[in-house]
Parts: sequence; structure tokens; C-alpha cells
Amino acid sequence: MGATASHLGKDLLSEYQELTFLTKQEILLAHKRFTELLSREDKNLPEPRAPTEAILTLPELKSNPFRERIVRVFSTSESRDGLTFEDFLDLLSAFSDSATLEIKSHYAFRIFDFDDDGTLDENDLEKLVNCLTGETDDTRLTPDEMKQLISNILEESDIDKDGTVNLSEFQHVISRSPDFVSSFKIVL
Amino acid sequence: MNSQLRRQGSATAVQGTGYTSDQGSPRLRRVTSSRSDQNGPQFNWRPASAAQEDAGQEAAVPPKDLRALPMPMALKRAISQVQQMQVPVLSSFQSWKRSKAKSLSRARKSIGGFLHYITLWRRSLNKIGGNFGDGVQSYFLFLRFLVVLNFLSSMLIIGFVLIPSIVFRSVASDSVTMTDNGTAECRQYDHKPDPLVRYYSYFLDLLSGTGFMEYTYLFYGYYRNTMVAESDFSYNIPLAYLFTAVFYFAFCLICITARAGTAVRVAVATGGGATGSYSRIVFTGWDFGCLGDTATKLKQKNLHYQLQVDLEEERIKNEAASLTLRRKVLLYSSRIFLSLVAFGLIIAAFFGIYQATTFSQSKVKETGVLGLFYEYLPSIVITVGNFVVPVLCDQIALLERYNPSITVIVALLRSVFLRMVSLGVLLFTLWSQITCFEGVSEECALCHYNHKSYPCWETRVGQEMYKLTLFDLLITLAMLVLVEFPRRMVVDNSSNKLIQFVGRQEFLVPVNVLGLVYGQTVVWTGALFCPLLPLINTLKFVIVFYAKKITLFSNCRPAAKTFRSTKSKVFFLLVLLFGWSLALVALIYSIAEIHPSMSCGPFRSLTSMWTIVPDSFYSLSLTTQGFLYFIGSQRFSIPLFLFFSVVMCYFIALASVYGKSVDLLKTQLKLEARDKQFLVKQIEELSRTLGVAR
Repeated sequence: MGATASHLGKDLLSEYQELTFLTKQEILLAHKRFTELLSREDKNLPEPRAPTEAILTLPELKSNPFRERIVRVFSTSESRDGLTFEDFLDLLSAFSDSATLEIKSHYAFRIFDFDDDGTLDENDLEKLVNCLTGETDDTRLTPDEMKQLISNILEESDIDKDGTVNLSEFQHVISRSPDFVSSFKIVL
Repeated sequence: MNSQLRRQGSATAVQGTGYTSDQGSPRLRRVTSSRSDQNGPQFNWRPASAAQEDAGQEAAVPPKDLRALPMPMALKRAISQVQQMQVPVLSSFQSWKRSKAKSLSRARKSIGGFLHYITLWRRSLNKIGGNFGDGVQSYFLFLRFLVVLNFLSSMLIIGFVLIPSIVFRSVASDSVTMTDNGTAECRQYDHKPDPLVRYYSYFLDLLSGTGFMEYTYLFYGYYRNTMVAESDFSYNIPLAYLFTAVFYFAFCLICITARAGTAVRVAVATGGGATGSYSRIVFTGWDFGCLGDTATKLKQKNLHYQLQVDLEEERIKNEAASLTLRRKVLLYSSRIFLSLVAFGLIIAAFFGIYQATTFSQSKVKETGVLGLFYEYLPSIVITVGNFVVPVLCDQIALLERYNPSITVIVALLRSVFLRMVSLGVLLFTLWSQITCFEGVSEECALCHYNHKSYPCWETRVGQEMYKLTLFDLLITLAMLVLVEFPRRMVVDNSSNKLIQFVGRQEFLVPVNVLGLVYGQTVVWTGALFCPLLPLINTLKFVIVFYAKKITLFSNCRPAAKTFRSTKSKVFFLLVLLFGWSLALVALIYSIAEIHPSMSCGPFRSLTSMWTIVPDSFYSLSLTTQGFLYFIGSQRFSIPLFLFFSVVMCYFIALASVYGKSVDLLKTQLKLEARDKQFLVKQIEELSRTLGVAR
């Protein structure tokens, strides 16, 4: 592949530039940070995979309430555990400054879909709101408030009235919010 | 069985719309059977046989932007390899176009990388945004925009006015000057500083722009009206001065509208934010750039508060709809009364500024510290007014009992109005003194302006703006040292309940943004009379950036309650445009109406600053004159106006058609969903009857 653990080949670098939204400096910085996460034995493997616990020690992800979902969504392994360097680049590309609204909203939908069934139903929405407000008892909403909130959300965004929010309805809501692109951003 | 069918049904509904390709053809998806570690069917996001379908339909379509595909890297690489393997039959023109497009995108990427490298303060801004939220970060982004704007415009002014003045002063001093046909008395201007001065007067002069600083390149009075005309090179300094000032304003307007353009387009398209606010908060509320546990907990508390407030407002609205008539009348009359009170406070502030300015101008001959105090009196009164009146307006807005978001906007708009128009009152007072209320008094009869008190009135106005700028900076630094640091010390070291309740300083974004807009408006107003003021302002804003950053990280706690409307980019830029238009009015009035001083400056022999343009116009060649006459005539401008009206009508019609088709498609979706549910019920009934029959 032309890449050792410590150095990226030039043609590989330009290929990554073609396939992601990252600039050359960002890819090199990502490579540096990724190799720091690998254990010594893993560094010599052809396609090293950093374990989830190591990735969650990154300061940008450490306190994010969606950190486990993010790693699950971008992981390409069978057990959805751990990221290769290319998965890591996909992650940074989707969260980068120049990524389009479509790709960001696509991945946001997948991150919020806690049961991975392709739609956001009431359980997904409840887990999402709990992540947003914090899991401790004094920051949760009361059950009444939660019920009122979920019914309001479904009333506003469920256009075909099937009780769930699918990808296009989600993207419709996102397209009306001007702040989304700047808040869905992780920069190393 | 029901839920399975429904889930599969919704999965099939996603099939056609999951992700859109350039060709628009829906991709087939498989709903795989449940994985070993999941309940229910695992949704497969990967398009099946994507590569083969690609191969079949490629033809002469330009290569897809692979980066925008939501697929893992390995699949993207496979698709790109397939694309490269195909050799589409292209004409030479198309292949040339494609290679040009590729080199253009490569050039754009390298420029983007370079800009990314030299972006000012990028890491500081990321750190601020991560720890304090994007409301505070938007203030610092705005500040950075103003620094760059001031720097570029000062380069403009230095290049076109300052450097030619320096060059031609040393090369050809007192060269072709126009004939002075004013009286000798008007041309007297004693600018030599008093040789025997006290040692501290240098410092006082630095602060107020008088004394040794008055007759320098800093102020208007030092520039000559030289017009160099050699064989193949001519440079008309008065004309350059005027055009640079006008172009400076146009340049700032273009920068501001370009920056506001995207945000305004989005705001118009999304139609404000009244509907869909709950889904918007929940789906787009989380800021993925938050760093650290404290920032995350803060953001969570913030969202919790926002959701609670919205749910509470909804409940109150449902109750308030049933308010009795008597209470409604009471509420509205109290609101009108309180608005009048706020308005009266603002008028009182204006009156105070007027009095202070007239008093200060009458005491201009005083020296020493008392003289400095009189010089700074208008600035002091404006600053005191800008502190006291907004606080009172905030309290009044609370009493008016609007809902929370409207209260903040109302109080903010009153502060904006106060700050901008108080500057306008100061300018008006100055102008009325200079021209003695349109020249009715006998002091102004001789030279069309009050030449006894203001031998070089433009320098005096420039000095006033210079003082305002410096005073603003000094007050910011003084607040930092004398108020915010001690407050933090007190809060950290005492355990008094009341003090802990008041707590650390909160970084209030709207108030700080208003301060920046006010400073920038002062600079715009004063740039005509003090050409180096944008450069001074650049330095001032850089100092303010570092000062505010220090106070933010040391002394402040982030705001627990933020409102989306007040941290929007569009709001800041609109307020900046309001300040710009105020400065524009001042500029137009100075250029067109007031007689320039006869004793100093580049326009000393003209009746108004604008007359240099017609005078130079007649020195152009006849064809150029004819062409410019044609552009300005009705034969050209009326067809142009008609053309633009037609284009605008076309776009309005297009927008309304799009809106109607969106509504139509929404109703269609609803009907289809109802059909689907009907069919599902039918299937259930059929299977039940069949099962019963068996």
C-alpha cells in the first residue's frame, strides 16, 4: 500500500485528498494523532485498527455524549469496534469544515439512530434527548415534559405520519437550520 | 408482525430517497436479517451493486464528487477505480474542459490549504468556541473580521493618499497650487506648538491629538493641495483624497454585504424560525466542537434550559389565549407607557451630550489636566450615558413582560439606537458650532465657517474622533483591570452567600458587539478627517482581542442562557450596516455642504470638497467626457432600470412557484402514507380471514 505506520506515501496522500474533504495538513495531522493511539504491536500490522477505548481518549471525543455512537457508525469491522486509519479519515472528513450538508446530515442521522433500524422512532428520540440534556437525574426532563417534547417533535417533522422520522424528513429539518453545518464540526 | 411490516415498509420508503445520486436513479437496498447482536433488522446503508450500476450508466457524465458519498473509504476507492477504468468517448473539447476543471480544483485546493495556514488566530478561536460555546465565538469571529477590514482599508489609504503626499512633499514642495481667492484673514492658521511647554504636555498631546501631534500626517490639515502634472504622469492629491474616502466606504460596504450574503440567503430560505423549533433544537442543537467536561456539562445545561423554556412558553401561551379583556388592556397600556419612559430616557441622554459638547467647545483654550478633562467631556458623557441608559432599558424591558426572546431583542435595539444616535448628536453639535447654525451669525459671514474658533475645523473634527477612539480603548482596559479582575478575586476568596449568588462576570455577547460596532462607526466618521484612523483602529482592535481573550479565560463564566437570535451573524452585520449608513450621511454632508477651511488641507481653495470632481472632469479628453455623459443620461439609465425590474419579477415568480410545488409534494407524501397504512390494514384483515377460514 505504500504506507508504513510512520510515513504516508505521496500517492496515497493525494488519493486521500481526492476521496475526503480534508486538506493535506489535516491528513498528516490525523496520521500523527492516529499512530499515537496505536499500541506497539499494532503499529507493525499492515492495516492497524485502533481499539475503541483508545479512540475515546482523544480530547475532541472524550466528553462528547455521542462518542460511542460515532465510533460505531464509522467503524467498518464486523463487530463495529475500533477504527482503521481510513475509517478515522472518513470520520474527520464528515466532520470537517468543507463537508457538504448532505453528508453531514446523513451521518448525523446514523449517529442518532440508536437501534440502527434506519428510522428515528420514539425510543431513539428519547435516548437522543437524554444525551443532549445529560444523564444525571437533575438534568433529565420529567416524563411529562419528555412525552410533550417527543409528540411535538413528531408533529413537526414526521411528514408522512408513520410515527417515525426517516432520513428525508430528518434532512428536511436540517436544511432549515443554518447553524447545523458549523456545529457538526470536529477539528483536530 | 405489524411492527416488522411497518419497519420494512418504512425501509422501502427510504429506498428511493436514501441518498441521491447525480443521475437521480434510486438504488436498490437489501434489508438484511437481524445480526447476532441486535434485535430487529439491521438497516444496511450500503448500496448493493453500486459499482455495476455505475458502469452501466456512465456514458458522458462528469465524474461524481466521490468525497460527498456517505460510504466507507474502501468503497469510494473501488468506485473511483471503476470510473478510471472506463474510457468514455469524449470529444477533444470535452476532454480539454475536464482537464481544465481538474487543474482548477487542484489550484483551489492549494489556495485553500494556504489560507488555512495563514488564517489569523485560528487555534485561539477554536479553543474559545469549544470552551464557551459558539455565541462567544461569534463575537470573536466578528472582531477578527473587523481587524482584517480595517487593515485592508488602511493599506488602501496609505497607498493612495499617504505615500503620494510624502513623496510629492519632498519632491516638489509648494508646486502648482490653485489660485487662492479667499481673504487673507481666513487663511491664518497658527499650528506651531508652543516651544516652552511643561514636560507632561507631550503625554496630554498624545492623548488628545493637539500640540505636536496636530500638524502631522495624522490629521487632515497637514495635507497639501499639490497637483503634480509631468509629461506622462499626473497625480491630483485632492482628487485622490476624495476618491479614496469614497472608495473606502464602498469597499467596506462590499465586504459587509459579501459576508452577510450567505447567512441572509439561508435566513430568507428557511423563513425565520418560528415553526419546527423543537425538532431543530433536538436535531441540530448539539455542538460537536465542545471540548472538555465543563463545556459539555454547560452545553447540556443550556439545552435543558432551552427545552424547558420552550415547553413552558407553550404552556403559558395556551393559558394566555384565555386572558380576559380587562387584563389585556392593562398589559398593552403598561407596555406603551414603559416604551415612552425608555424613549424619554434616551432623549434626556441626547440633551446631556449636546450640552456637554457646547460646553467643551467653549472651553477649548484651557491647558493642563483641567483642559484635558474639558477636551474629553463629550466622550465621558457619551460613555456614562451608554452605561447607565441600557441598564435602565433592560429593567424596563423586563417589566414589559414580553416572552424572554423578545425582551432581549427589544432591550438590545434600544441600546443600538442610543449608541448610534448619541454619536450623531455629537456630530450635529460640532457641525452646528462650525457653521454657526447655517451661517446666520456674523462670525461665519466672512469665510462661511467660524474661522476664529476653528481655523482648521476638519482637524478639530478629526481630533474629536481620535479622542473618542482612544477613550473607548482606555475604558475597555480600565474595566478589565479595575472591575473584572477584582470581581473574580472577591468571588473566589469569599464564601458569602450573596457574593456567590452574584458570581463571576458573565461574558455578555450583545453588549460587547455593540461596543465594536460603535468603535467602527466612529472610525468611519472620522476617516475623512484623520486618514490614519483605520490603522490606529486596527491596532486598537488587536489589543481588544487579546484583552477580551484574557478576561474571558480568567474572569468569566459562560452564559447559562443564550438566545439564538442575538448570536446570529446577520444581526451583527445589520447593526454594523446601520452604523455605516450613519457615517455615510456624515460623509455626504461634509463633502457636499460645508465649506472647507481656507487655511489648511487639500481642499483649501474650493467652495466645497465635491467641486474638485467637476473641475478635474473638464481636464479629461472629450471622448471620455462624452462617454461619462452618456452613462449618466436618461437614455442609458432608464432601460437599465427596466431590465433589472424584469429580472427581479422573474425571480419572484420562480420563488413562488417553488413554494407551491413544495406544498403540493408534502400533501402528496401524506396521501401516500395514508394509502400505505390502508393497504397494511387490508393485508392484516385478509390474513386474519384466511387464517380463520383455515
